[in-house]
Amino acid sequence: MTGGAIVSAIIIALILLGGLGFCLSRLGKGGKWED
Amino acid sequence: MAEINRERWTGRAPFIFAAIGSAIGLGNVWRFPYLSYQYGGGVFLIPYIIGLFVLGIPWMMMEFGMGHYFQKGAPGVFAGIGKKWEWLGWWPVLVAFLIVNYYSVVIAWTLRYTLSSLTVSWGMGQAGAKAASDFFFKTILQLSDGPGALGAPVWSTLIALALIWVLLYLVMFRGAKVIGKVSVWLVIIPWVLLVVLIIRGITLPGAVEGLNYYLNPNFADLFKVEIWFAAFSQIAFSLSLGMAGMFAYGSFVTRKSDISNNAAIASFSDTATSFFAGFAVFSLVGFVMQALNIPIDKVAVKSLGLAFVTYPVGISMMPGANALTGVLFFLCLGFLGFTSAYFLAYGGVIAPLMDKLGWTRTKATLTVCIASFVVGILYTTQGGLYWLDIIDRSMSFYGLLITGALACLVVGWGFGAKKLREHLNATSDIKVGAWFDWMIKVVVPAALLFVVIYGGFRNDLAKPYEGYPLWAASMIWVVLVGTLVISFILQSVKTKTEKGGEPK
Repeated sequence: MTGGAIVSAIIIALILLGGLGFCLSRLGKGGKWED
Repeated sequence: MAEINRERWTGRAPFIFAAIGSAIGLGNVWRFPYLSYQYGGGVFLIPYIIGLFVLGIPWMMMEFGMGHYFQKGAPGVFAGIGKKWEWLGWWPVLVAFLIVNYYSVVIAWTLRYTLSSLTVSWGMGQAGAKAASDFFFKTILQLSDGPGALGAPVWSTLIALALIWVLLYLVMFRGAKVIGKVSVWLVIIPWVLLVVLIIRGITLPGAVEGLNYYLNPNFADLFKVEIWFAAFSQIAFSLSLGMAGMFAYGSFVTRKSDISNNAAIASFSDTATSFFAGFAVFSLVGFVMQALNIPIDKVAVKSLGLAFVTYPVGISMMPGANALTGVLFFLCLGFLGFTSAYFLAYGGVIAPLMDKLGWTRTKATLTVCIASFVVGILYTTQGGLYWLDIIDRSMSFYGLLITGALACLVVGWGFGAKKLREHLNATSDIKVGAWFDWMIKVVVPAALLFVVIYGGFRNDLAKPYEGYPLWAASMIWVVLVGTLVISFILQSVKTKTEKGGEPK
């Protein structure tokens, strides 16, 4: 793969998985969910 | 606020997976990777991520939040804002109904392809690669010359469609309780299948070349209006917004439960699924390019052809595990489509009917399944693909974008974006700031109307859509206006339930 494609893939994956990770880390912080 | 008697998700995980399942669908596999390739590779993700934050997540929070606030599906929500707005809840219900009619037929094709993959019916090697296109258009669809030549239903597709609706009925007739539990599995299974397909794809010769096309950034494209139009429209389609269902899904959440974080999780999961599905698809595109020694513009990567022609070509040419790869790919597509189909049918249509007419779940589910199957017969005919394309343009483009823009305006200015934000922040893990108000009141509707005008009216009013005869292309407007008129008629029907959908 070209350098551009690799860098692009890494940045996009970090943004998406980072965003998802942040949301998952906030689970239950509202403290009012009864699962 | 007191808890009212309404059907509920059995927990947070079932709700999140049901929401993710509603968002991820067939489009994640064939449309997103193609758009990324077409609009500057990795650069496409810049407007797409911006669209996710300024359009997708606020819009999803709005739909979940309003359903949660009023504890009703879309028509009940807008009737709650003001009786004169109820039609605005029925319009997306009709959009959802007309979409699921043909969406279920596409799932029926995936079922037929899953079975055909067992023996790679279109053939192996070069002969199979050449026959893949004919197999789809002549064997599976038996495609006629145009929308005026409907022909007879293709019986094998019709039988598959009937089976799909039986399965959908079995998932839906017990409501959110079963939908949530089933969704956990029907989301995880295609994710696992996608991982297998990615590994299979990237280990094929030539895969790197395809991935370069998919990801290599071309920053010059960032300054084209088209890339922003494409990214915004894809966000709207992909997250299954503007189809009424998210209001109902939000209404099944208990009063004290989170909304905002669940909306963000579903949105990120959908986008991540699209992104990783691109690896499975474009690694195979690269393999096909190398195996057949053809440039990428000769590989049919656009529209449904990517799934039903290009992928079978790749399966024929693979050095091994051909049948297994085919079965896994079409099973994956089928699962992705199935979760979106019951979202459209149950959240989009059945729940609002129960709210309005006081029907039992069994009666409403049975009625919608039978009606959808009957309408869906149109798309199983030899001219069905043309009508699928036309109705898709009418409903999945104009319908959802226009109703979405109007819904945001009425909620933002009529109900009050601030009031909604305070409701969301009262119970959610993530607190949203005042920026949310302006997203709902101005940015989201403006972005949606930009897409409608720039990507829709500008082209479709100048010349018939996709070169169809004028009478056929005109059906885009006939169906759009027809659904609007029916929405007003439904508004005038007396509501037979109390708040929460319980019979009076």
